[in-house]
Amino acid sequence: MNELSQLFNTVNIGLVVIDSDLKVRYWNRWMEFYSGISSERIIGVPLFKFFPSLNTPKFLRCCKSVLAFGNFSFFSQKLHHYLFPFRADSSFVSHFEFMQQSCSMGPLRDDATNITSLYLTVQDVTELAVYEHRLLEMNMRDGLTGIYNRRFLEKRLVEEFERHVRYSRNFSVIMFDIDFFKKVNDTYGHQCGDYILKSVSSKIASMIRKTDILARYGGEEFCCLLPETDLASAQILAERFRKSIAEIIHVYQENEVTETISLGVSELSKQYPTPSSLLERADGALYQAKGSGRNQVVALP
Amino acid sequence: MESEICQVTDEEKDILQEIMNIAFGKAAADLAEAINIFVVLSVPNIQLLKGAELPDYLRDELRDFTDISIVEQNFRGKFRGSAFLVFPAGAGKELISLLDTGHEMVFESGSIDILEKETLLEVGNLLIGACVGKMAELLGDLVTYSPPKVVIENHPHEIIPNNLFNSEYTAIVMKTLFSFDERDVSGFLFLVTTHDSVVWLQNSLARFLQQYE
Amino acid sequence: MAKKILIVDDSPISRKMLKSCIPAECIKEIQEAGDGLAGLKVFKEFLPDITFLDLTMPVMDGVQALEEMKKLDPEAVIIVATADVQVKSIEKVMGLGAFHVLKKPPTKESVREILLKVGECRGTEHGI
Repeated sequence: MNELSQLFNTVNIGLVVIDSDLKVRYWNRWMEFYSGISSERIIGVPLFKFFPSLNTPKFLRCCKSVLAFGNFSFFSQKLHHYLFPFRADSSFVSHFEFMQQSCSMGPLRDDATNITSLYLTVQDVTELAVYEHRLLEMNMRDGLTGIYNRRFLEKRLVEEFERHVRYSRNFSVIMFDIDFFKKVNDTYGHQCGDYILKSVSSKIASMIRKTDILARYGGEEFCCLLPETDLASAQILAERFRKSIAEIIHVYQENEVTETISLGVSELSKQYPTPSSLLERADGALYQAKGSGRNQVVALP
Repeated sequence: MESEICQVTDEEKDILQEIMNIAFGKAAADLAEAINIFVVLSVPNIQLLKGAELPDYLRDELRDFTDISIVEQNFRGKFRGSAFLVFPAGAGKELISLLDTGHEMVFESGSIDILEKETLLEVGNLLIGACVGKMAELLGDLVTYSPPKVVIENHPHEIIPNNLFNSEYTAIVMKTLFSFDERDVSGFLFLVTTHDSVVWLQNSLARFLQQYE
Repeated sequence: MAKKILIVDDSPISRKMLKSCIPAECIKEIQEAGDGLAGLKVFKEFLPDITFLDLTMPVMDGVQALEEMKKLDPEAVIIVATADVQVKSIEKVMGLGAFHVLKKPPTKESVREILLKVGECRGTEHGI
């Protein structure tokens, strides 16, 4: 077998050639291995017969563009995830059901330089994708508690705000913080404080819906975005938060620690035309709750 | 260095202009027929500049744009250089519907930005491939392309860095206005050829015209 | 046999290219113009047998010039030369009375083919 042939069958990359009728003309060993389809079976057969999911406007458009202009088309993992549904290579549980792929397509010409067929390259980028996903997650999460961080909250707030204004939907915000948190730290140490933070955030997180966003806003301050929720419902929810936290008796290194939270609630309305003014209102309500003896909910329309 | 600057004659510029006219006309036709994308490409303007002069030239050309995105793609044949598509900010959003994705995209947070960016890249790739491809075809050359990149995203045009281009290069800058009427998006296409392909270009232009002597 | 020919195109190179594709024996006299308006003026005075018209021109574009020329002489033989050969564009200019569309860049074959068609259309009395 000549060197090129060997090369095409040993490289860690999928190589496919299809003609202008989109029938497979070449299917290298990498493709055979991951697809479970031998090259004998697939040569001469339309690609879509074995992979009907490829028959999309985008894929066809890319084929036509390469055939008409001789340029190259690229299918990034970020947008397409994969072209060929192959199992991920790793034996261990992967974040993704299918192998994540980065693919490209280009022209092949005959001796008269006419474009007669296309090549496709397929690269396994699952590991990279997992890494990237973790990085993105880390970027939006609070390291200690695992809930969202302030950066993410502010971004989502803008998006949700715009959407709710556009469609005239109800939208509410709860700001709350842990009462006398500094005292906990001073009395029992910062590790205990961390433990309390984690415990409070996971308790509240278990009480919200999938569409709600809970984030750590500051040291002991939290913010909860409630789409499709009016002030009255948000107030009821806030009261439930307050009650459930007040009832917890934390045991930390043989000490019994209890604490309470104060909460401020506000709602989207014409009076608060910007996301930040809405947050300020909730913060103002929280301040009032603090001033009125703590461990309570104040809702300001 | 002065002797290094290639002299491109007015006639050569005229021939290049006509070739671009023809190439871009074909490109627009093929984009419409093959891919259902309707773009209008205007009559190109051709300038000869040194690499060092390019950033100022671009800034001047783009002074009416407030925020921009630039898609860059390099092409390599005997005809070699870089293509820059300059879009006004927000063009990505408008163009998303131009490329019907054919299946519902699940939007996680942050992925609208990715979709916009990918749309710019795909449209950029198509447009550059069509224009450069047809030009190369007319000049009897075959080119390969690097993957397209979004170079600057939504930055004010003052932030075109001075080292965006190799300052020693002589560049032929071909500027065309493109317009997607159905989406109300228009921008500029700049083709910047490298120093070493200018000579080849001159020869191939002469060869092209010879058919008509 | 030889005809009066008018070429209207804003690119001098394009005009040169087209001229070189027309068989010498077909040319009785040839005139050129660089934009639609000038082309119209020459059209009125020169009264060409065949006009080649580019579409994208400054001052007055090819489509407008075509309409005006057809108004002046509904029988005029006007060949639209363009690189943009989308079906829609072709249908449009044919609908406006263009005799035929010539794809750019012109070749000796494509031009000869069109001139033969003109000859056929007009019958033997005007045959090339």
